[in-house]
Amino acid sequence: MQNIDAINSEIIERPAVNYLNNGYSLKSWLLTRDHKRIAMLYLASVSFFFMLGGIFAGLIRLELLTPQSDLLESASYNKVFTAHGVIMVFLFLIPAIPATLGNFLIPLMIGAKDLAFPRINLLSWYLYMSGAAVAAYALLQGGVDTGWTFYAPYSTTFSNGYVVATGLGAFIIGFSSILTGLNFIVTVHTMRAPGMTWFRLPLFVWAHYATSLIMILGTPVVAITILLLALERLAKVGIFDPAIGGDPILFQHLFWFYSHPAVYIMILPSMGVISELIANFSRKRIFGYEFVAFSSIAIAVIGFIVWGHHLFVSGQSIYAGLVFSFLTMVVAIPSAVKTFNWTATLYKGSISWDTPMLYALGFLGLFLVGGLTGLFLGTAGLDIHLSDTYFIVAHFHYIMVGGTVMGYLGGIHFWWSKMTGREYSEFWGKVSAMVVFIGFNLLFFPQFILGYMGMPRRYASYPEELQVLNIFSTAGASVLGVGFIMPVFYLVHSLFFGKKAADNPWLLPGLEWRTASPPITENFESTPIVTWEAYEFGEESGLHTEEARRTTLAPTA
Amino acid sequence: MATNVSAHEHHYHPPGLQHQFEDMGQQQESASIGMWMFLAQEIMFFGGLFTAYLVFRAKFPMAFAAGSNHLDIYWGTGNTVVLIVSSLTMALAVHYAQLGKRMAQVLCIILTMILGATFLGVKAVEYTAKYNEGIVPVTGLNRRTPAGEAQAPVETAGEHKTGATEHAYHNPKGEFQWTDASLAKKAEDAGYLTSAEKAGYYANGVLDANKFRDKVRIFYWIYFAMTGLHALHMIVGLGLMAWLLWKAWLGTYTADYYSPVEMSGLYWHFVDIVWIFLFPLLYLLGRHFGGGH
Repeated sequence: MQNIDAINSEIIERPAVNYLNNGYSLKSWLLTRDHKRIAMLYLASVSFFFMLGGIFAGLIRLELLTPQSDLLESASYNKVFTAHGVIMVFLFLIPAIPATLGNFLIPLMIGAKDLAFPRINLLSWYLYMSGAAVAAYALLQGGVDTGWTFYAPYSTTFSNGYVVATGLGAFIIGFSSILTGLNFIVTVHTMRAPGMTWFRLPLFVWAHYATSLIMILGTPVVAITILLLALERLAKVGIFDPAIGGDPILFQHLFWFYSHPAVYIMILPSMGVISELIANFSRKRIFGYEFVAFSSIAIAVIGFIVWGHHLFVSGQSIYAGLVFSFLTMVVAIPSAVKTFNWTATLYKGSISWDTPMLYALGFLGLFLVGGLTGLFLGTAGLDIHLSDTYFIVAHFHYIMVGGTVMGYLGGIHFWWSKMTGREYSEFWGKVSAMVVFIGFNLLFFPQFILGYMGMPRRYASYPEELQVLNIFSTAGASVLGVGFIMPVFYLVHSLFFGKKAADNPWLLPGLEWRTASPPITENFESTPIVTWEAYEFGEESGLHTEEARRTTLAPTA
Repeated sequence: MATNVSAHEHHYHPPGLQHQFEDMGQQQESASIGMWMFLAQEIMFFGGLFTAYLVFRAKFPMAFAAGSNHLDIYWGTGNTVVLIVSSLTMALAVHYAQLGKRMAQVLCIILTMILGATFLGVKAVEYTAKYNEGIVPVTGLNRRTPAGEAQAPVETAGEHKTGATEHAYHNPKGEFQWTDASLAKKAEDAGYLTSAEKAGYYANGVLDANKFRDKVRIFYWIYFAMTGLHALHMIVGLGLMAWLLWKAWLGTYTADYYSPVEMSGLYWHFVDIVWIFLFPLLYLLGRHFGGGH
């Protein structure tokens, strides 16, 4: 370890021009085809919508501070939780990691100059922003009160909200997601550097490959469903409203055929980040690389055949319920494989407690709780008791916030120096990771109990005896809010006042660490040749002598 | 020596090679995988509609047979032939692009465009017939006939089997019109109606023409959604062809670089194949039951 600083201070003179300073005009950002700049555009927009969705979450928790419906009356409350859901799901959780970290890192990790289709990549950001604009229009006009699930026939016939505009927004954002997935799949197939075989790919790339499969095969189904829903609302005839012969259960089937796999779109990239963090901060090859890689694919495949567990109480046949219940247990296996392998990687690893690792360890605990309570809900019999209660709300927030957001924040901290070339304050980073972990548990753990006691979701009022737990929950929301706002300050601060970061501050073997921080527009001076396995910390990684380092980085011509 | 070095550094850069790729092979492979992924996405997009078709066909087979009987099988068959031939001319366009034959390419693309436009023209004729007959499922999108101005409905080539001929066409609000429940009656008499169908067609225990009409309307809703979405893809395809035509005319595509022609060809064949599924599902299946042929 003693030579890290020595190596970092000596390595290749940092290039004067990098992807950030090769143009300052607005046009150089808005018309860029550089995957790194597009990733930064996404980072800013996705984080903005995360904050907006968070404000709506705050309103929900404030309303639930008291048993009566006082801050918001029921109709407004419906619109607030719908806005929270729509913004968080479509504008934050789905694009969060793939479009920011995935976009930035996949070409770097596989040794490519860019994604296979840079213009399509830029188009996907514009689609995202257009969809967001349409959804924002709907919100400003008065919002929607259907919940983010748009269940028919309420959405087609009775709701007074702006269902069509919101649906159109989701439709457009869906295509941005499809294009991102398409780009990733092609890039991983054709753009890998010489020597970068499939089984030398970082697990982050495997996770994104699996995610992209779901994006391509799932998203179009919800797109056509939302289109049919909007047409039905406009034309007053269609296939979902039972009053005119339609089938509302068909809507639920089509909707969840995408929207359950969408959960894996949210969690798989985060699992990819966690694999990187655990292996790199244990300075050890990940335990069972192939199993972790294939478990991502298994989750993507099996994830497509479990959607019926959202319909246990909707009038789906009981036999279908049984099969879906069984399949739900099956999809838990690859997730468990990952969790066990991460834990086994920690064993006898040389663990360091940097901020990203704190987020990763937080993820392990929270995802464990979220995953196991998922099994409660996947059990058809128990689900009848817990369906539509706060138990569900707590469960999926443990996955979405405890899983995806922890991975998102952990990843941003881990690669911040690579993305910006600056170091953030490690002290404040650690404090924020702890505050997030504590605030999160205080916010959502009481909701398991509330749900088990029977408190239903999506109501603005509740019986007085449930107030104590709700106060805990709202208090937790405030703590979590503070935890989320802290990084905004110290990360932005680091952009201007942070210490210049080393190219490879932790001396890690990944390709992204073998180029400058921030990288040049072409990513590498010349196409790298990969001669080492993923997470190779031994002699073969060529990290330990400066000479070996230079050899790996030498032009290949 | 110096010239050698510079020749080495600025190695041959083929026209059409984008900056992110190392060579034409890599670019070609990326385009190909990308297009197939896009088509996979398209299959899932249409898949939602096919699922809806499947669900409602299984639920209300008689209503679907009644609706299907009223589609024009001659226009439908003719259009199928037109589209298959257009796939041939498209495949030839790719072939001539690979051989670098400019005028043959241009000719094949023009033929493909003519055939594609013919398909859309026929579709417009069929849609217009539905508009005139009052069987567009959306209220207000049918021909409006004020009271007292009743006219006989327009016959479509020998396929008119509804009871609409029996009374004057009177449709002031442009509503969906369907009075003929004879097929359901026939199935009822033969004991073919399933319990799901009875639940769908009966009111107060007897066959109800209005409830049957609502189910036929679902068939037409699905018909218009599927063929409409398909027609939209055809229009996008024609746009692609127009762009290709311009580039091919300029002589862009040669034996070394013909990827855009090949990719547009894949898209065109895909749209063709969707129709190959739509045609039997919408026009053919179930016709034999009470179809009179």
